[in-house]
This record gives sequence, C-alpha cells and structure tokens, in this order.
Amino acid sequence: MNINSNLKKQNTYDAIVVGSGISGGWAAKELTEKGLKVLMLERGMNIEHIKDYDSAMKAPWEIEHAGRLTQEQKRTHPVQSRDYPYNEATEKWWVNDLECPYTEDKRFDWYRGFHVGGKSLMWGRQSYRFSEHNFEDNAKDGHGNDWPIRYKDIAPWYDYVEKFAGISGQVENWPLLPDGKFLPPMEMNCVEKSVKERLEKHYNNTRLMTIGRTANLTVPHNGRGSCQYRNLCSRGCPFGAYFSTQSATLPAAMATKRLTVRPYSIVNHIIYDKDTKKAKGVMVIDAETNETMEFYAKIVFVNGSTLGSTFILLNSTSDAHPNGLGNASGQLGHNLMDHHFRCGAEGTAEGFEDKYTYGRRANGIYIPRYQNVGSDKRDYLRGFGYQGGASRGAWHKEVAELAFGENFKETLSLPANSWSMGLGGFGEMLPYYENRVYIDHSKKDKWGQPVLAIDCEYKENEAKMREDMMYDAAEMLEAAGIKNVRTYDNDCYPGMAIHEMGTARMGNDPKDSVLNKWNQMHEVSNVFVTDGSCMPSIACQNPSLTFMALTARACDYAVKELKKGTI
Amino acid sequence: MDRRKALKNVAFLLGTAISSSTIGVLFENFGTYEGEKNQISFSAKEEEILAEFADIIIPTTKSSLGAKAAGVGDFIPMMVRDCYPANLQLLFASGMKEMLSKCQKDFNKDFLSLSGEERHKLMTDLTAEAIAGGKKPSFFMIARDLTLLGYFSSEIGCTQAREYLPIPGKYDGNVDYKPGQKAWAT
Repeated sequence: MNINSNLKKQNTYDAIVVGSGISGGWAAKELTEKGLKVLMLERGMNIEHIKDYDSAMKAPWEIEHAGRLTQEQKRTHPVQSRDYPYNEATEKWWVNDLECPYTEDKRFDWYRGFHVGGKSLMWGRQSYRFSEHNFEDNAKDGHGNDWPIRYKDIAPWYDYVEKFAGISGQVENWPLLPDGKFLPPMEMNCVEKSVKERLEKHYNNTRLMTIGRTANLTVPHNGRGSCQYRNLCSRGCPFGAYFSTQSATLPAAMATKRLTVRPYSIVNHIIYDKDTKKAKGVMVIDAETNETMEFYAKIVFVNGSTLGSTFILLNSTSDAHPNGLGNASGQLGHNLMDHHFRCGAEGTAEGFEDKYTYGRRANGIYIPRYQNVGSDKRDYLRGFGYQGGASRGAWHKEVAELAFGENFKETLSLPANSWSMGLGGFGEMLPYYENRVYIDHSKKDKWGQPVLAIDCEYKENEAKMREDMMYDAAEMLEAAGIKNVRTYDNDCYPGMAIHEMGTARMGNDPKDSVLNKWNQMHEVSNVFVTDGSCMPSIACQNPSLTFMALTARACDYAVKELKKGTI
Repeated sequence: MDRRKALKNVAFLLGTAISSSTIGVLFENFGTYEGEKNQISFSAKEEEILAEFADIIIPTTKSSLGAKAAGVGDFIPMMVRDCYPANLQLLFASGMKEMLSKCQKDFNKDFLSLSGEERHKLMTDLTAEAIAGGKKPSFFMIARDLTLLGYFSSEIGCTQAREYLPIPGKYDGNVDYKPGQKAWAT
C-alpha cells in the first residue's frame, strides 16, 4: 500500500497532455508557462530536434531508392503508401499499418505519425485564419451545429499564436481570409505575378491571388533560423525554420523546467471518478513493454489527433459514461469531415522562356474562397480555395517519345522549354452525422486494444463543388493567358487531405455537442479537447493554425478556472 | 455549359498525351504489394549489360559522364529486386533474355560485343517496338525509366548533367535564364 501511494504521488501532475503534435505542443507550452507541472504523453518514439532528422541533409544520391518505396515498405505500410507523404526519405514519420490496423467501412486513408512532434514535423505548414463567414455558415445554412464562438473570440488568439509560431504572408484586407501578424511574405515568381495581375483585373478584384501564408520563417524569429529554400521540410528542418513541436513549443515548455515528456506511452482511456464527476487521470500502455500504468492530474488535455483523441474518449467507458466519456449527446465519433482536393487545372505560360528560378520555395500561391459570397451564387453550399503555383520544371516531350542518346541527354540537362502553372482546389466538406467512427472490438492492435472503424464518404454537395473546382480553375488560368489548359480530377477519398476533423464537436448545447466554447467537455469539466476533433465545421482553409489558437485560448481558460477552483 | 464541355474534351486529349510516359509512371501503376519478392537475381555480367544498355540512353558526352559511370548498372537491378512486384520482376528478366537473343539473331553477336552503330540500331528497334506496343510495361520500359530515374538522382547526373544547389539560402522567381544554362537537379 505504501508503495502504491508513493507511486501515485510520483505519477501525479497538475496537467496531463495526451499527444505531442501541433496542439499538444501548444498545450504543453501554455500550461507550463502558466506555472503548471505537466506530463506530456506521446505514444511513439522520441525525436530529438535536428539530431533525429536522419535524411534532412542527404543529397539526392544518398537516398538509396531515389525516394521510391520498396515492396517491403508497401507490405508493412499498406495505407501510408497510398499517397505521396510516405516515401523513402520520410518513412520514419509514418506508422506501420500492420501494428495499428483500423476498419474501413468505406475507404478512408488514415495517415498517422507516432512520435514526439506528431504531424507537426510533416505538416504542409499552410496557415490561414478562419473568417467570420466560416463561424456563421453552420447557423446560416443549417448544416451541423452552430459554432459556440465567433471570429472576434478567436482573433486575439490567432494574433498570439502567429507571433510565436512565425507565419509569413501578405496583408490583403480580404474579408474571407483575415490578415494575421505576418513575417515578410515569400515572393511570387514572374509567372505567378503575371497571372495574379491578369486574373484580378479580369474578375474586377472580386477574386484574389496571394502568396501562400506559411509557417516557414522568412527572417530569423525567436532564436530560430530562417528558411533556406531547400524544399525538404518533410524530412525535418535542421534550421528550425518551420514551426514544429521540436523547433518551437517544446523548447519553450522545457525552458520552464515543469514539463515531463514520456514517449512510448499509449493512452488507452481516461479514468473517470464518479464521485467527483471528473477525470482523475489516464491509463497508459507502455508501447515497448506492454506494461500498464496510471497517471493522475487535475486537468487532462486530449490532443491525440482527431481520430486518436476520439478513440480514447470512446474507449473511456464507465457506468456514468457507457457510450464514451462525455458522450450523452451521442455526437462523439460523428460528423467526421476532411477537405476534398486533388482536382483543378493546369497549363503552360508562354513568354517567360528567358526567366528561371533560384532556390526552391516550399510554398505556393493561394486563392481564397469567393463562392457563395455576395452576388456569387452556386448550386451547392460553402466553397473552396485554391493552392497552386508556377514553375519551370525539367520535363521534356522527348521523355514520352522514348528518345535516347547524346542529344536526348543534353535536352534533359536543360530546364523545360516553358513554365507551367496549376491551381488545385481545396473544398469544404459539410458535417454529416452519419459520417462517423466507432470502436470495432473484433480486431486488436499490437497492444491488444480494440480498433477504430471509419464510415465516411463525400456526398452530393462535395461532388457538385468538385466540378467548379476544376472548371473555375481552368477559366481563371485561361483568363490569365495560360495556354494548353487542361482540367484534372485525380479522385479523392476522405483522409487524403490529412485534415480529418469534427468527431467531438464544440457547441453551446450539451444535447448536441461534446465540448463547450472553451473546448471543455460539457459533462467532465476538467477534460479539454483542442485538436481537430473539436471543429463543428472545417471551412476550406488549412486548419492547423486554428487548432493552435483554440488550444492557447483553452489553456488560458483552464488555468484561470483551476485557480478559481471551479474545475 | 458548352464552354465547360469544351474544356473537358481538351482535358481528355491532353491528359492521355501527358500521362503516357514520364519517369515513375510504371511505379504508380504497378507498384502495389503482391506478396512475393525477389523472384530474380542478377549476375555481374547482367549488371554490366544493364550498365551498357543505360549508357546507350544516357551516354558520356563532352559536358558530363553517362549512365554507366553514374552507377545505373547497379541501380537498375537493385530497384527491380527491391521495388517491383514479382510479376514485373519476371517480366523484366524474360524481356532481358529476349533482348539478348535478339542481339544474336540480328547481329550474330552478344550484347556486350555490339559496336556503337549496332547498339544504336538495337535501341532504335526496341523503341519502335515499345511505341507500337503502346508503351506497356516491359523490360525495355522499366529499364529505360530506371535509367532516367537513376541517372538524374545520381551524383554525376545531379552535379554534372544538371546543377545541384544543396542550400540555396534564398528564393528568386525572376532570374534571367542564360541560354544553355543547366536545369536545377532538384
């Protein structure tokens, strides 16, 4: 008994943060800086900044299979290998699917990274604010539940996280894409500048093209180095030039000396205390030894990624919460959303043959949503934005013609004859109650846990929108003087954008939402969920910046309430 | 709507032209795991043949060394064994044998003894055959794709045939292109 109580004391913290990715890193930073003793639990291995970025400084010829996957990698990573993010140079960041299977009632590509830093190491870094429109859309058209907050509630927190993270971008005064506290923007290239000018003129400034807003530093910031334009971000940045847990939030949290990080710690469930009606801690499985243990805290932040967090909550059952923790509403696991993309248009730009690029910019251009705003009416709800860019590659028609020999080699040594320009749409998906995840007890993972089943599909609204995502792109490119414009739709399945969200949504009404406006569980006041699962709708912008702002805001509230003694 | 239909047709026409062969297409289409691996192995002589084959496509020129010097002779068999499913490995091996017997038949010589002119003739024939056959997966198409992939990711390809900048340090999207200036390696 003595041993147990000592152990209990040893394993007790002020706060537990489950997960170490973008939102978990922020929670650890904010909570420790506000004076709390924090335990951050990460289910995967530790990754030390710079030292563990194995492929970051490798030249192309040091990547054995030129980046291609082996048959063995395809065997162990059947889901991760469905799309480009998992490749030879980045293989370390993606899970072995055989160890952590899930059930696909319908195809859902679940890309996961189990390691300290989570997907903050592999994210696309595009950082956009949601606008007032985005917070009102659910209430206006009746899909999903009303957001419990509006733009003004989150705006100061966007300011706060942008200043720390370092977001480069151009101020545009565009209502659907509010400006932030930006570092200097990256440059558009000559073709992009020309397209921007012609496009905005053609549409009478009802459409805008701006440089991508990205969490890559254009100037040194908070002791981190600026972008070196290598375009190798996905391997981990040895200059700390993009925002990640390792480059930014973890060092800040560690500096307080109040953070403990425990890798290889799979949170199986949250322990609910029926007497206090609060969570008293978490049960953990050590991923290396399979040993189980408990950790205790006054508050628990759940930041295990949308579906990871949802699994933990669904798996945290008790007499008081038979269908998962805080799930009296029945909404937990439902309303799963992801952006739909992989369609648009591209073509060639003529007249720039005497121009080339220097450096590799890991960023493109952005066209914010303009559909279903003002006089622009469509036959579907919500809308989409575009990411794209122009480049002068090195592809030549002689490759397809199967040429060979001296002249062929000399040709391939030169840049392409012309520049190409493309626009790819990113569309909002509506929240549908029937798009859901649930626990499948018929399968077990490597650690004996049941698995998640995913039942999610795009519907008619998304299909209609995709048509416009192609044709609007083609029309804009043609209006901007681009030649040989062709449209494409490479097919998209939920999960592919790696922007899965919505399965533990916020709302004012406990009857139809899991979290309140502070990301706090309606039913369990000391549990906060601030990753993508909290989102009542997903807009069409890349969401990570919003997770950061919501997390910082929730931490501020949680610590204030803790000090007041209300939680 | 007519406007949109017209665009769609253009997309169809261009789409087929563009996607028919670029580096890596064979990987995308035939790269799923099929449960068996390493159906074939390569002898030292076969590696030499592959190096010479690759060197016909990407020879040494005044400005840079070719595929053989860049190590493509080792790269191709390594890639075929590690990255291709069993059916394509077997297809590759049998296609390679066919090419060797074609050398005997057409030139009455083994592949390594072919003169430069004969090599050119052989490659011209194989190319015509591949185009006539719709560029379907074959020894020729796989070896050719891997030659280009291997060469332009090799140190020689990146630093001699093209120009490699490990740490550019800045981005400028409006620099003058000087005629003859090499493409960036990445």
